[in-house]
Amino acid sequence: MSSTEGLISHLPNDIGGKDADAINMEEHSMLPWEKRCHALLDVLATHQIVNTEEKRRGVENLGSEIIGNLTYYERWIVSAVNILFEKRILTPDQIANKTKEISERK
Amino acid sequence: MTVPDHHDHDHAHPGVTKDEEPYGYYATLELAVRELLIEAGLITTDEHRRQIEILDSRSPVLGAKVVARAWTDPEFKKRLLADGSAACEELGITMYDGAHLIVHENTDQVHNMVVCTLCSCYPRPVLGLPPDWYKNKQYRARAVKEPRAVLKEFGTTIPDEVSIHVHDSNANMRYLILPLRPAGTEHLTEEELAGLVTRDAMIGVTVVKSSLVQTNRGQA
Repeated sequence: MSSTEGLISHLPNDIGGKDADAINMEEHSMLPWEKRCHALLDVLATHQIVNTEEKRRGVENLGSEIIGNLTYYERWIVSAVNILFEKRILTPDQIANKTKEISERK
Repeated sequence: MTVPDHHDHDHAHPGVTKDEEPYGYYATLELAVRELLIEAGLITTDEHRRQIEILDSRSPVLGAKVVARAWTDPEFKKRLLADGSAACEELGITMYDGAHLIVHENTDQVHNMVVCTLCSCYPRPVLGLPPDWYKNKQYRARAVKEPRAVLKEFGTTIPDEVSIHVHDSNANMRYLILPLRPAGTEHLTEEELAGLVTRDAMIGVTVVKSSLVQTNRGQA
């Protein structure tokens, strides 16, 4: 097998059967925003705006560097945003304006 | 009353507990998406708030109730193994995520465990949110390849003559393990039995013991 074949034969999250380290059993409590993010994605799935499979594909499409560096719910929200762009439900401009408005509150 | 002698930030504390203030990049992104979709009329504030309530209401206590009922009611167990979602709904546990719940029973010949190699599919309606290790690379990668070694890290040794079945979940199929009822629990009530059933036993990485006191978790 060539050195690059593994990069194409498996999507970055398709890791079943690979070698890996010992399991780290430490658990952390969910941050408030993570719970809000989880609930938002559940609501989007209920309405089939972004369903579970689409969200997973969106995470896969982030590529291994982003997948490797973002935390779990960071990947979820970025995936959802990309799917919403793809479906033309939201535009990058809307997100840019809204995040600016939010950061100027208070 | 203790007066803090030092307060090194000057923002107000409107909530009961400290939240991220100001919001980080990703928290802001979540809020931006949510507000835009609410403004577009695609979702409502109430749905989002309600979903947070649902998430808060789900925990392994529900799964334990299902297991204890199956251990004490053979007819219920039959229905549970035939259709996990429908049997849970009998106990008032709704499958809010629309996924189908499949229950696998551990026996003297077969030990079952659950993984989601691709992401983090998990029977959330009956167990709540998955532990971090379930979502991390190490468990997802290794569970399907060397389950006995993985189980050992959880302090679980399954005899060689017992087969191990690893179930890889997906968005439409979620698995719950019906653990073996431990010996010496014949005198316990359904409620007492439920108290013995742990989250990790329902994922299949541990077994249920007749007392919760001695668990070997983490002794790899």
